[in-house]
Amino acid sequence: MSTKAEFLARIREQVRRAPARFAAETARRPQHPAAEAESIRRELAERWPETLDAFRREFEGVAGVFHRVASIDMVPDAVTSIARERDARGLVTWHAAALGADLVPALGARGLDVHQMPAAEPTDGSERERLRSIAARVDLGLTGVDLAVAETGTLVLVSGAGRPRSTSLLPPCHIAVFDRTALLESLRQVGVFLEAWHADPASARGGAINFITGPSRTADIELTLTRGVHGPKEVHAIFVDQPFRG
Amino acid sequence: MSTGDLGTPFRQRAGGAMQDAFLQEALTIATTKFIGLRREAFAGFPDGESLRDQARAIKEATLQQLDRHLETLIANVERLGGRVHYAATPAEARAIIVDIARASGARMAVKSKSMATEEIHLNEALEAAGITPIETDLGEYIIQLAHERPSHIIAPAIHKTKGQVAELFTRELKRPAEPDPEALTRIARVELREKFLQADIGITGANFAVADTGTIVLVTNEGNGRMVTSLPRVHVAVMGVEKVVPSMSDLMVFLAILAKSATGQKLSVYTSLVQGPRRGGELEGPEEFHLVLLDGGRIAQIDGPLREALSCLRCGACLNVCPVYRQIGGHAYGYTYPGPIGILLTAMMEGTEAVRDLAHASSLCGACLEACPVRIDIPRMLIELRREVDDRKIAPWPERVVFALLARLLQRPRLYRLAARAGRLVQRPFVASGRIGRVPLFFGEWTRTRDLPAVAARTFQERWATDRELRG
Amino acid sequence: MTGRRASLMVTCLGDLFFPHVGVAIVRVLRRLGVAVDVPADQTCCGLPLFNSGYHAEAAAVARRTAALFRDSEHVVVPSGSCAWMVKHEYPGLLAGAGLAREAEDLAARTHEFSQFLVRVLGVTEFSSTVPGRVTYHDSCHLLRGLHESESPRTLLGKLRGAELVPLTGADECCGFGGSFAVRLPEVSSQILAKKVANVEATGAACLVACDAGCLMQMGGGLTRNRSKVRAVHLAELLGGER
Repeated sequence: MSTKAEFLARIREQVRRAPARFAAETARRPQHPAAEAESIRRELAERWPETLDAFRREFEGVAGVFHRVASIDMVPDAVTSIARERDARGLVTWHAAALGADLVPALGARGLDVHQMPAAEPTDGSERERLRSIAARVDLGLTGVDLAVAETGTLVLVSGAGRPRSTSLLPPCHIAVFDRTALLESLRQVGVFLEAWHADPASARGGAINFITGPSRTADIELTLTRGVHGPKEVHAIFVDQPFRG
Repeated sequence: MSTGDLGTPFRQRAGGAMQDAFLQEALTIATTKFIGLRREAFAGFPDGESLRDQARAIKEATLQQLDRHLETLIANVERLGGRVHYAATPAEARAIIVDIARASGARMAVKSKSMATEEIHLNEALEAAGITPIETDLGEYIIQLAHERPSHIIAPAIHKTKGQVAELFTRELKRPAEPDPEALTRIARVELREKFLQADIGITGANFAVADTGTIVLVTNEGNGRMVTSLPRVHVAVMGVEKVVPSMSDLMVFLAILAKSATGQKLSVYTSLVQGPRRGGELEGPEEFHLVLLDGGRIAQIDGPLREALSCLRCGACLNVCPVYRQIGGHAYGYTYPGPIGILLTAMMEGTEAVRDLAHASSLCGACLEACPVRIDIPRMLIELRREVDDRKIAPWPERVVFALLARLLQRPRLYRLAARAGRLVQRPFVASGRIGRVPLFFGEWTRTRDLPAVAARTFQERWATDRELRG
Repeated sequence: MTGRRASLMVTCLGDLFFPHVGVAIVRVLRRLGVAVDVPADQTCCGLPLFNSGYHAEAAAVARRTAALFRDSEHVVVPSGSCAWMVKHEYPGLLAGAGLAREAEDLAARTHEFSQFLVRVLGVTEFSSTVPGRVTYHDSCHLLRGLHESESPRTLLGKLRGAELVPLTGADECCGFGGSFAVRLPEVSSQILAKKVANVEATGAACLVACDAGCLMQMGGGLTRNRSKVRAVHLAELLGGER
């Protein structure tokens, strides 16, 4: 079996011998990523309506369903109507702290069978198992959004405490709630935020950042486009005009 | 008919593929569709060309300091609680993964689509160790059930009809299946959902690895990559050493062009950035994370003639535009990686002898270079491989004699003129209205389907020498 | 144009199989006031050797070919692939013999025929020798090697008496590829068959290309299929003899 030392030594030797093929540079990195991220946010605070329009266009272009409501109080009605249309009752949701609002009572009052994911890691394995099997059973998964990217219609979700990976993955219908503070224009800007998050040792992120660009799809049988092969068959994005995220 | 059998010469394997009427139709439809989607995606993306240049530069810049970037990657993966393994050969990679699986008591492994695990023939090794590997990409799942290999880098089962898939599901899954893609996909969803929840270990490749953060990046459309990295207790990622990129800023450049080149999407549905095992507070994610760094012939090319091929993103764009791939499909190439880039990767992994014939499976039309998101000069490297085949006398001797004679002829104008006259004599019985129909021997390969122009009654230079009016 | 001088690099295929193309080029250029010469003892640019990997041999051929055109003001080549060879491969091949600078110099003076007319002489208006519908196939080396798709189309588009119609898959290889055509004849022939079908579908009387290799392949396919479409070199339409 190769050891790390000999494996890397062979690479080092090759790199030392190989002439550069042409003068080449890696991508420019933000020198102060947090500050640059902040200045992107500030600029976008001015022109978020255009960014939202572009996001909507791209999101719908990848078969996402876009909704818009005035305030966070109106989200439970929007979720309930999505549930009714597909005869669904069971819903798993990110924890209120992760979502930025506690919608559990309102959703429950509207007849949904709501399972809120815990804010902290379950201590025993069987609880973990139980929660996962709920996520695998119910029809709806409700999450927040860390970034919404206009260039591609992409939702970026960061995993962590109270924000399980499975909520946006196992249920056949994913509903994501966001406001203008999540909007970005371009993938390049996403790069700045990724750099900023990783540069911050205090950030309590989980081990996965997922870019979601529409519902799960495949074209593996005769190139026929089919949705929902493994992940959700539907992705809904509910935009809330009145910012609700802290 | 098995067209992938290496016991048969390449020319016959290619011929076999061209006899397969369904394959022919499927290839034309699929490659034409992919070409159109890619064109449209870049037509609507003014930054595309400069991002391609930038991506190419990032790959080269990374190679110039590959040791340093890998050390950073390794340190970060370990800092996050992952373990890094080093495989010089496919056999070592297989042994490492089997050991990890055994140590965790795994009975079943779910895999998301990965060319690297195809390359190391992992499934056979897992099976031999009593671990059931389950391919979860729908296309890969289909070909695994059929005991075949992928025929396209991003659409592994394009050679199968929905009818064939329905028969396969009915037989292998004991579920009556209609030949309807939607219904077949539903069946696969149910079957595989169960496996995702049961499996002990998830195995993936890596489209990229970000050194600066210790992040493995997986790009999928189906969501199986997310399942495989979220649900099982153990996650093993296998990647060639060349897949490392320095930073998140670099990664975004590649993401902006990868899906456009592969399927014409602006982004694939899921891009998953996974970092080590699950963190405190997380409900899901693996308890163990292993990264297997694979050499498999790559390291020797850092300073080798195939260096540029280390920039390949595995997008499949060069396959779709290649006139040869479009006629023969992926299996006829006979190795894991098909198409023009596949010839280079096969030479890298299996040695030059393996591509003695494949190096010539190109008209050098340059469509691959034009389509490649990182502008890999595939034709130039194919010519390099041909040169190596000749220099090391791997080429068959009659060919070497023919080319040696040709080289002499082209350096001696008197000999050249003599050959033209000889040609006129020899061709005489075969010429009709200035064309040659069917002739035997060497030129027979040409004239079976095409006429050959006759050597002119007077060559241009003969006319120029004697024709006053022409000389003016 | 008066005072310009150009040397014709007739190429092996042009010399042996398509002498009328060379004749047409000489006449077109001379009508434009260009003094044309043809250095004696030409054979081949060496591309067939180069592409098959016989680089030492290709370098030897390149060296003597380059010497023939040392004093030419311009070198005009009827085939995009041979022009590409001289322009892109000679400098590298001849560097070993210390002739890199001369090769670079030759590369700069060498032009594919349509490029010479449009980009050097700036001439685009001709009348056609064969009236009717014509279509154009992009030769791979001209299109992707020399990045030229416009000059031939400009000439054909303005050609008096001719109507240029688009060819489906015009930018796709015809399947020639030099020795590829006989090493993998079945694959080459199938690529050709698709090209021929696309050509037939245009309803054109002439299929135009700027490369003798493609013309040999496509012309051979068309006559074998008893097609009414004739494969011709661009120069033949711009005034020349048949």
